[in-house]
Amino acid sequence: MEGDCHYLLGNINARRRVEFVRNLLLEIGLEASRVQMFNLSSAMGGQFAEYAAKLTEEIRQLGPNPLRKDPLYTTETSTGE
Amino acid sequence: MIIAEQKPLDEIMGLLGSDERVLVVGCGTCVTVCFAGGAREAAIVAASVRMTSKLNSVPREVTDVTVQRQCEWEYLDEIKEQISDADIILSLGCGIGVQAIAERFPDKWVVPGLNTTFLGMPTEQGVWIERCAACGDCVLGITGGICPIARCSKSLLNGPCGGSEDGHCEINPDIDCAWQLIYDRLSRLGRLDALLELQPPKNWSTSRDGGPRKITRDDLRLAAEEE
Amino acid sequence: MSNATSSNGYLVGSNLEKVLKAGHFAVTGELGPPQSADGQEIRHKAAILKGNCDAVNITDNQTAIVRMSSIGAGTIVVQEGLEPIIQMTCRDRNRLAIQSDLLGAYALGMRNLLCLTGDHQSFGNHPTAKNVFDIDSLQLVKLVSDMRDSAVFASGEAFKGPEARFFVGAAAAPFADPTEFRPYRLAKKIAAGANFIQTQLVYDIPAFAVYMEKVRSMGLHEQAYILAGVGPLKSPGMARYMKNQVPGILVPDKVIDRMNRASAPWADIPKEELTTEDKKARSQAWKDEGIRICIDLINELKEIKGVAGVHIMAIEWEEAVQPIVEGAGLLPRPVVAT
Repeated sequence: MEGDCHYLLGNINARRRVEFVRNLLLEIGLEASRVQMFNLSSAMGGQFAEYAAKLTEEIRQLGPNPLRKDPLYTTETSTGE
Repeated sequence: MIIAEQKPLDEIMGLLGSDERVLVVGCGTCVTVCFAGGAREAAIVAASVRMTSKLNSVPREVTDVTVQRQCEWEYLDEIKEQISDADIILSLGCGIGVQAIAERFPDKWVVPGLNTTFLGMPTEQGVWIERCAACGDCVLGITGGICPIARCSKSLLNGPCGGSEDGHCEINPDIDCAWQLIYDRLSRLGRLDALLELQPPKNWSTSRDGGPRKITRDDLRLAAEEE
Repeated sequence: MSNATSSNGYLVGSNLEKVLKAGHFAVTGELGPPQSADGQEIRHKAAILKGNCDAVNITDNQTAIVRMSSIGAGTIVVQEGLEPIIQMTCRDRNRLAIQSDLLGAYALGMRNLLCLTGDHQSFGNHPTAKNVFDIDSLQLVKLVSDMRDSAVFASGEAFKGPEARFFVGAAAAPFADPTEFRPYRLAKKIAAGANFIQTQLVYDIPAFAVYMEKVRSMGLHEQAYILAGVGPLKSPGMARYMKNQVPGILVPDKVIDRMNRASAPWADIPKEELTTEDKKARSQAWKDEGIRICIDLINELKEIKGVAGVHIMAIEWEEAVQPIVEGAGLLPRPVVAT
């Protein structure tokens, strides 16, 4: 599937960016497996469900995001963007 | 432009120590273009610091702001309230930006979030290469527009040495041999004669070797600012 | 040669200069100082090389590995009655340090100098060091020539006492990229003042002959003495490494084949069944063949017009020099009276 993309090389670029995020999570101290990328086509509904179930189960094993619902943690930033 | 890259988060956390209120300051010029310290990166670093502090139960309040240029007083003055509210400044500017903040805000502790690496350019998206060593006495006029000071591993003025193979430098096959490039270019332009001339020892006093450098232009100075 | 000579007709009157000027086929060797303060090792190596070479190169932190200094080791070599060729690189010293070290070297009796840019520190055992490269090898050649011929320092300031006078050498890499430029770079070194040239290792005689043809057509062999670099191979692996990994060294397949054939008696024994004695014998067979190849190369180089001698690089294998020089019919070494 990889490389076989409607947007040509888009999925390869996406994988590199997902890798960046996974490394960033590791640096921060979170599990990289909270973000995963799967390749599949829009016609593969069954496969999609399977991947979603697999990822959900893996994340359930990891437990809830330790950063949630904490007064010190907010996602707001003051960037002018 | 100035090329920089982010320090590892671990190192940044070490530099921040136990200071609670952190202001991450991005810069909208060179380091934005090389994706190291612009608004986007400042937001990512701020979020990363916030998250990792929380995971380690370090009390922390992190905000971020990006100025157009950290190396000019007028842009720094725009954020002086935010700076005064912070315990520590994490600059995502180049080394010049960090120092500009230190100089403009003498009572504020500032630490670098980037390693300033070189003067260069992107040769493709995501790839940057050094091009200039700021030696203060440009030799590009005799080397066909390719700098041996910045781009030859030994800064040879009378290259090539014997260590180039298939156009690559022996110390790193990912790096082009500057003298092979010079040779090829002079050859293409029919100017190989230039290579036969012995280049004398370089005057390094215009480079960093002469001490910190300064340029003063009276035609541009304002009488009111002179001391 | 064009430079200012003293009343006896020599630039400096070193043994190497005398042997070359007299038209003898010169032999230089190489003595690598130890990675320690062991002066005895220098004396030991000097004893092995003495009588087999007209002068020996003393390397200067070769491959960027810290060793006893070239001038320090050279002083011991002088005491032992062997003539050193001091190697001086631009990697570790700026023009101040280079000049002051050379004044010391001259005062200690050293008369030959090989000017090199130096291997990059990233290859050595202090890869995080700051390099210098204030000047390059060509500028160094010019600097020491001016020191001798005009009695001036690099600054142009005149000496206030005796100047340091060296017989000035430079290196040449005939097969390095871009090869078309190599004879011109040699010309540039000679124009800067090089009196003798030592080349990178030559194993490919036809390729070297082509280079020398160009060198002769430019008249360079009449302006400097060109010593071809040779070195005995220790194993087929070493030959392959040089062919594939070292820029600027050509090793023809027939040389590698010769090394392989030397180990034919052991070729059919499976690796794990080779005894220590087998390995020892095979290693000796390789070394013997390496020495024979080196002798053959020297004999072929002697026939190339413009080759004034050979520079034998038998690093950490000084014992090989005597059989090579003898095998090539170059013993005893000439003694040239003043």
